Amino acid sequence: MANKPRVAIFDFTGCEGCELSQLNFEDQLLDILAQVDIVEWREAMDDRADEYDIAFVEGALSTPDCIKRIHDIRRRSKVLVALGSCAVDGGVNAIKNLHPIEEVRAEVYGKDQYLFPTLPALPLSAVVKVDHNVRGCPMTQGEFLRLFTALVMGKQFAEPDQSVCVECKLNENECVFERGMICLGPVTRGGCNSQCTNFGQYCIGCRGLVSEPNLAGMAETLASHGLAMDEAWKRLQLYNAYRLQGVRA
Amino acid sequence: MAQSFLEQARVLDFIVHLQTRHTVYAPHRRGQRSFAFEKTSDPAAVELDYPRVLGSVKKYFLPPRETLMDFDLKTDTATAPQVEPVNAVFLGVHSYDLAAVKRLDHNFLTGKPERNYLVRRQGARFIGVSYVPDKFHFAGSVGIDPYDMTGSDVFLTRHPDGWIVDVLTGEGAALLQGFALPPHALPKPKREHFTQHIYVPQDSLGRILEASYDHPVWNETARSCLSCGTCNLVCPTCYCFNVEDQVAVTGDSGSRERSWDGCMLRGFTEVAGGEVFREKSAARQRHRIYRKFKYLSDATGQPWCVGCGRCTAACTAGISIVDIVNRLIRDAEREEKITA
Amino acid sequence: MELQILKPGLETRELYLPEMAEITAVRRLTEMETLYTVKMPGGRELGHQPGQFVEVSLFGVGEAPISISSSPTRHGEFEMGIRRVGMLTEVLAGYQPGRKIGIRGPFGNGIDVSKFRGKDVLIVAGGIGLVPMRSMINYVLDRRDEFGRLIICYGSRSDTELLFTDELAAWEKDPRVEYHVTVDRGSPDWRGRTGVITTLLPGLQLDLPNTVCCVCGPPVMYRFVVLTLRGKGLPDDNIYLSLERRMKCGVGKCGHCQINGSYVCQDGPVYHLPDIAKLREAL
Repeated sequence: MANKPRVAIFDFTGCEGCELSQLNFEDQLLDILAQVDIVEWREAMDDRADEYDIAFVEGALSTPDCIKRIHDIRRRSKVLVALGSCAVDGGVNAIKNLHPIEEVRAEVYGKDQYLFPTLPALPLSAVVKVDHNVRGCPMTQGEFLRLFTALVMGKQFAEPDQSVCVECKLNENECVFERGMICLGPVTRGGCNSQCTNFGQYCIGCRGLVSEPNLAGMAETLASHGLAMDEAWKRLQLYNAYRLQGVRA
Repeated sequence: MAQSFLEQARVLDFIVHLQTRHTVYAPHRRGQRSFAFEKTSDPAAVELDYPRVLGSVKKYFLPPRETLMDFDLKTDTATAPQVEPVNAVFLGVHSYDLAAVKRLDHNFLTGKPERNYLVRRQGARFIGVSYVPDKFHFAGSVGIDPYDMTGSDVFLTRHPDGWIVDVLTGEGAALLQGFALPPHALPKPKREHFTQHIYVPQDSLGRILEASYDHPVWNETARSCLSCGTCNLVCPTCYCFNVEDQVAVTGDSGSRERSWDGCMLRGFTEVAGGEVFREKSAARQRHRIYRKFKYLSDATGQPWCVGCGRCTAACTAGISIVDIVNRLIRDAEREEKITA
Repeated sequence: MELQILKPGLETRELYLPEMAEITAVRRLTEMETLYTVKMPGGRELGHQPGQFVEVSLFGVGEAPISISSSPTRHGEFEMGIRRVGMLTEVLAGYQPGRKIGIRGPFGNGIDVSKFRGKDVLIVAGGIGLVPMRSMINYVLDRRDEFGRLIICYGSRSDTELLFTDELAAWEKDPRVEYHVTVDRGSPDWRGRTGVITTLLPGLQLDLPNTVCCVCGPPVMYRFVVLTLRGKGLPDDNIYLSLERRMKCGVGKCGHCQINGSYVCQDGPVYHLPDIAKLREAL
């Protein structure tokens, strides 16, 4: 490639775990770096640039300043990629949206609350156009690599839109429900190679929901496995609080 | 052919006999309450008394994931990897799973026979075992009883003291060569009873389904169905697959991969431009049931459901294929009474 | 019926590995559609029937079913008219002559030309449906004596989206062709007819028992065209439809294109109307 794509990486409200997992590509990091110029990345370097071919953005938007910055990043980026559940869906941050914002602010910042303006947590797509998602908490590394390769090759990226159950069955795991646990796999977007259930854990839904989830059905299933209905919806809200606002009748 | 007897005390020796001569796949415990076919190493880990395995032996002939070709993007050339024959003995296969293998054979070996499937499939030898139906099995309703030896080279029928051994093919006889068994002449144990039944024979089922296209059961089921695809993926006769290209991070090479797919997944019928031909979960459920009891059956005269009960046992929403079908039958009979 | 299939000596072929063909010409038809001319390895004939399709393979991107647009009567290379609507066609849009692409096929049944021979041929094509129908039209034109009248009804969303405009102009002038065209919305310069494709049909004077029709277009079009043709009294027996589905493998294995009991990639994409009138999901 004559001109390497100029890549920038930004973070908003989140734990920065997605960025850390980018640094964690032990086998592929050099191959990745060979194909792009990283022009901005607070986590790993100090350079600053004005325009980006690809901006990877981690974290949810939760302050007025975030909104300003994301507009700025969007304006300067040809392709904007949301990295991880906070950026894609609002993530666990959005749980705060379930409570009155003033209560949340008082609880977190106490008497200094007026120094910290805060907003309900938003996914990037609530404010700007997002071209691609890399889901997961932290982001799914394999999905990042697939998207990255597609972008460098100049082809479209098809986001997976099937349940975690699909890969879980391909891996011939015993169903989590069979072991008396509950699992959000049936309505959670796959693409993670069911990495939690492969190791005996249940799916907590970190990759967000499939495009047309049967939420009432999922809540019923959870309830039939012993959860109270309220608890069932709370489980679904862990990573999907933003998307589920106003969904439950 | 000849019938002999394998005492319970000699079962381990028998497995050792097979294992020293062949690659053997057999049911093993998987997780807390499940079973799965695995390659045997420890004969004591083999479980011949089991209700059902998670996935059938299908996974050995049509692997869940498979590379169809590797390609080089610098030269635009592709090569198909060598397909390794499975060439193994499958010990402890239930009659319905053997019936399912026949159905897979039909898909992959009629019309344009597929090499990948044939290479894996042709060296397989099967030692079937009888089983005691549990609350999900309904194979009897599709004409496959727990003692059905069709498709087996050797068949083991449960007996209180061990297993009655039927040798059914020359290949089966070869498997037993060097392992002397006393002859057995006693009658077989009585038929085991199924607790689950579909209440009409296959030929009238096709007719009933024909008239049930707009039955309310499809929408009712769609209310609980999570469209997770589990029922397809655990089904021993489901063979649908998807194909996708993977590219190495270096961007200069990659592979074309196929993996199991399922018609209950929303994107299954999506075409370029975004149109989905079975958009509603109800339409997909109907398609699945018709696939098992009508479409392929109309063409071949055989039900494409083998009654293993996996889709019901594994359904995350508790949907029962037997309940759906019986509901259609009951309503069709009621309709007939009213019109008669 | 017993399913005894596995037997010794069964012949299998490599089903999935494409042949590498070469793009020899690229012609832009409209904003969205491009016509590619493709040469098979060694210049061999593709050996297709009108109405058949190929699987086009771009390594690293995937495969897509693409209709063949040229008539088998035109020897040597073959043509594919492609609309940019998906991942593969988007990448293909950047390809220039000289590029290699993978081809598998031809697949599908194609049009049974013998059913049209000696009859009046009515082609009803909506939008991109003209691409495969062009193969049949040129087949009839190249063997004009073997067929009766050739009536073409073509509908497009707008006049800027009309395909093969030079050929349309030629058909318009050709006394051997009865060509009718309509667009849903015409631009200010459009002098032709405006309206959906079904408005072309009532005015046609057809020798009904002697007319055989082939319809191809977007899914929503079939239903209305079939209803209108029936309304005119054309028997179902004289109607063929070319359907679109997600054909992934092309060889009847992967299950994606199934409509009820039928595999579009094997039994279709061209269906005799009486065979599918009862298939609830077909139309």
